Amino acid sequence: MSPILLLILFSIFSGLLICVVDRKWAPHLSLATSVISLLYYLFLLIDFEPSGGAAHLFQANWIPGINASFSVALDAQNVLLLLLSFLVLPMGILASWSDTVQRNREYYALMSWGSAALTGFFASQNPFSFYLFFELALIPFYLIVLLYGGAYRRPAVFKFFLYTVFGSFLMLAAIIYLYAVVPDTDINWATAVAEKLGPDNQLWIFGALFIAFAIKSPLFPFHTWQADLYSEGDRPAVMVIAGVLSKMGVFGFIRFYDFVPSALESMRYVIIPLCIIGILYGALVAWRQTVMTRILAYSSLSHMGMIAAALFSGTMVGMQGSLYQMFTHGILAASLFFVVDAIIRRTENTSVYGSAGLAQANPRLSVYFFIIVLASIGLPLTSGFIGEFYMLWGLTQTNIWYGAFAGVSIILGAIYMLRFYQKSVFGEMQSDKVRNFGHLILAEDYVLVVVVILVLSFGFFPGTWMDLTHQAFAQLIQK
Amino acid sequence: MLSMIVLTVAGVLALFLGFTKTKSLILPVAMLGVLASAAAYYFYQSLWGEWLLGMMGTFGSPSVFVGLLLACTFVILPFLNVYKLRGGGELGDFTGIILFSVIGGMMMVSHQDLMILFLGIEILSIAMYILAGADRRVIQSNEAAIKYFIMGAFASAIFLFGVGLYYVSTGSFKIFDVKIIAPELYSISILVLFAGLAFKLALAPFHFWAPDVYQGAPTIFTAVMATLVKIAGFGALFQLFRYHAGFVSEWIYWMMILLALLSMLIGNIMAFSQTSVKRLLSYSGIVQAGFILIGFLHTRIENTWMVAYYLVAYVLASLASFFVIYFVENKKGSDDIGEFKGLYYQNPVLAVVFTIALVSFGGVPLTAGFMAKLFVLNHAAGFGSPALVLVSLVLAVASMYYYFKLINQFYTSDESGVKSWDISWGYKGMLIVLSVLTLFLGLYPYGIYPWIS
Repeated sequence: MSPILLLILFSIFSGLLICVVDRKWAPHLSLATSVISLLYYLFLLIDFEPSGGAAHLFQANWIPGINASFSVALDAQNVLLLLLSFLVLPMGILASWSDTVQRNREYYALMSWGSAALTGFFASQNPFSFYLFFELALIPFYLIVLLYGGAYRRPAVFKFFLYTVFGSFLMLAAIIYLYAVVPDTDINWATAVAEKLGPDNQLWIFGALFIAFAIKSPLFPFHTWQADLYSEGDRPAVMVIAGVLSKMGVFGFIRFYDFVPSALESMRYVIIPLCIIGILYGALVAWRQTVMTRILAYSSLSHMGMIAAALFSGTMVGMQGSLYQMFTHGILAASLFFVVDAIIRRTENTSVYGSAGLAQANPRLSVYFFIIVLASIGLPLTSGFIGEFYMLWGLTQTNIWYGAFAGVSIILGAIYMLRFYQKSVFGEMQSDKVRNFGHLILAEDYVLVVVVILVLSFGFFPGTWMDLTHQAFAQLIQK
Repeated sequence: MLSMIVLTVAGVLALFLGFTKTKSLILPVAMLGVLASAAAYYFYQSLWGEWLLGMMGTFGSPSVFVGLLLACTFVILPFLNVYKLRGGGELGDFTGIILFSVIGGMMMVSHQDLMILFLGIEILSIAMYILAGADRRVIQSNEAAIKYFIMGAFASAIFLFGVGLYYVSTGSFKIFDVKIIAPELYSISILVLFAGLAFKLALAPFHFWAPDVYQGAPTIFTAVMATLVKIAGFGALFQLFRYHAGFVSEWIYWMMILLALLSMLIGNIMAFSQTSVKRLLSYSGIVQAGFILIGFLHTRIENTWMVAYYLVAYVLASLASFFVIYFVENKKGSDDIGEFKGLYYQNPVLAVVFTIALVSFGGVPLTAGFMAKLFVLNHAAGFGSPALVLVSLVLAVASMYYYFKLINQFYTSDESGVKSWDISWGYKGMLIVLSVLTLFLGLYPYGIYPWIS
């Protein structure tokens, strides 16, 4: 059996198992299974050859009537994102660790199923499996937020759900059309479809796909669900949503690149400026927020805009940077939510001013926090820098003004992140809750040490991974 | 024919057992009757390929729809047991009536002659009028019965008018070997026949009776109406159109598209603001019927499976949801949307079963409802109408709104302090089987392909 399929099935069955074990053991079991998945995946990476095309391919005829097959594999494009999803899941489970009482077995089972859907999504090799998992990944997280989120979660999650479902139905229409245009899905299917569609029809297909992916990412102006969901959702789940689910949209653009090449070419000059507006807008709004989770939400909007803009630049370096940054931003967004969760849980205050004086109360957390903040600003020698640098390089190659405007976001990013850090960590200690902040629990220490190691090692040694991203786009660019 | 005789005997037996003291025998006898009827149908099919001088036939699609009807009846019958708990005086009557209505349904789906179709419609409808008024002491139930009866009689008249036109334009009641004398009149006759059936199927704009009747009828019989009548009606429509697909003019199909879109649109708009769950589901049924109708564009015998698949998905979800509504209504005395608040914390099985049914209605992947929508939309794309695909998809998303509004209720913790309650394992098992089937068909749609093609 293909190891990728094995990983999906493993997550599904561990979710079922979690449903039936004793309540006390559910968190432990779910942590164990997520770590096993991660280790097994790392083991798979050892002998993975990026230039060799799809590895560990599993393909099954699923619905012969419309030529839809189910196929998952490991390839150069999804290798980093699968790694991301396997890394973020144990982080999320550990974030829930200090508060396992309120979360019962269903919570961990849903986490497992969510992970299965995400694995399937990134590993999928054709539009049909892609769509299936795209939609499926939504449901576990929808339910988690619905069952365990904050006071105003209902309207937030409902908005999120309707937006996403609207987008994904548009995408379904596009996919049905793709299968109807050229029913014969062999190796050169995408090219055949693109030829048969012609530039005009490609625009329609691209439009439907763009709205679906822009909602999911989210990109400006389809982002209005984001801040509400991020601030009201259950934070461990939001870690996964901000870290991994938000990458699904941009990843979709990579996957459908072949089907709509000429539409991409002609729409580039509309979409990149739109993304740049989103970059600046997100950064400016994040600057003026006082709720921690909202700052992170708008910073995410800004970063995702940058990633999408670089991807649409169509240059090799831009796309490489964008793929690399998807991974980095995933880790950083998840760990920022992790830190914020650790703070909010103890101070019971979501405002940035609520935890003033944290530097004295818990210097250790403050240091971890600082490293993560620096990485998300894109300081050299952290993983954030490489991605930002490549992306800006790519954008500048397309048009120097794109590079210039997008580059402003680095400065704005530094402003809002440092303001965030300054307000929340330094200053006069005002609340007793901060004074009695206490130590980090072991789970938190583990996660933060791992994140710091990841951030630094990806910053110091980007070479191997950059080669990987080069392989990912080598074929796309040639065409 | 043998299968109908078997079913009639079982129905009469059920009626008579209702007079005696052995009421516990009624349902087993009825279920055995259904099984025997199915066996008779499938093992003696070659002997009885054409019945009543070719007025009925089993070639192709009818056998699929008859199978669906019998399977659906087989699932519904055990739930009638709830009437035994209430004294059981009426159980025999209800069981018998349902079996007779199935006979009507079988006549409808296997008709080759419009007279048989009309007889089938009447047999099915009269049974349904009675069932709608089964709760004699409840005024809404009486209202439902009267309303259904008057509207149904009106629809029958329209249908008969169509039959008359058909006879004038072709010189025969037979639906095959058509010799068209007056082409324009012929097309109009098909349209009027279609309108008569659309009444029975509650397709907009012929849907006005449906919400009141669904709401007023006892919930178990609402389930019967939502499933048996739809299967029979769509089966009859399929049988009619598969013989005439080549003759009717193209504008009939555009009328069909119009009706499908209207059903989806009106059903959705009306469902948005419903507070009664049964009413909500009746409007959702109108939306689903609109989707099924898309499968009838350029009807061909090869498309049987697509329509049948949608019906299976629809029936599974409808049965599950109406039975859940029955249990909640029985517990709390109302089917108001507020009564479903916190259902998950009171009775997790019912909540999960209902959730799966609703997401299947909405068309979320890995449920049967998704695959069903996919197949009909794929068909619509093949028909060459991307706009239809797009509009129906948008309407499908709109329908998610009220399904998920309802689902949200289940998982909202309820402060009213209702303790958790339970239903017996038999019903629970049946409901779980319905949900599992929904998921299984969503995962592996070709699991039932050999059965329905």
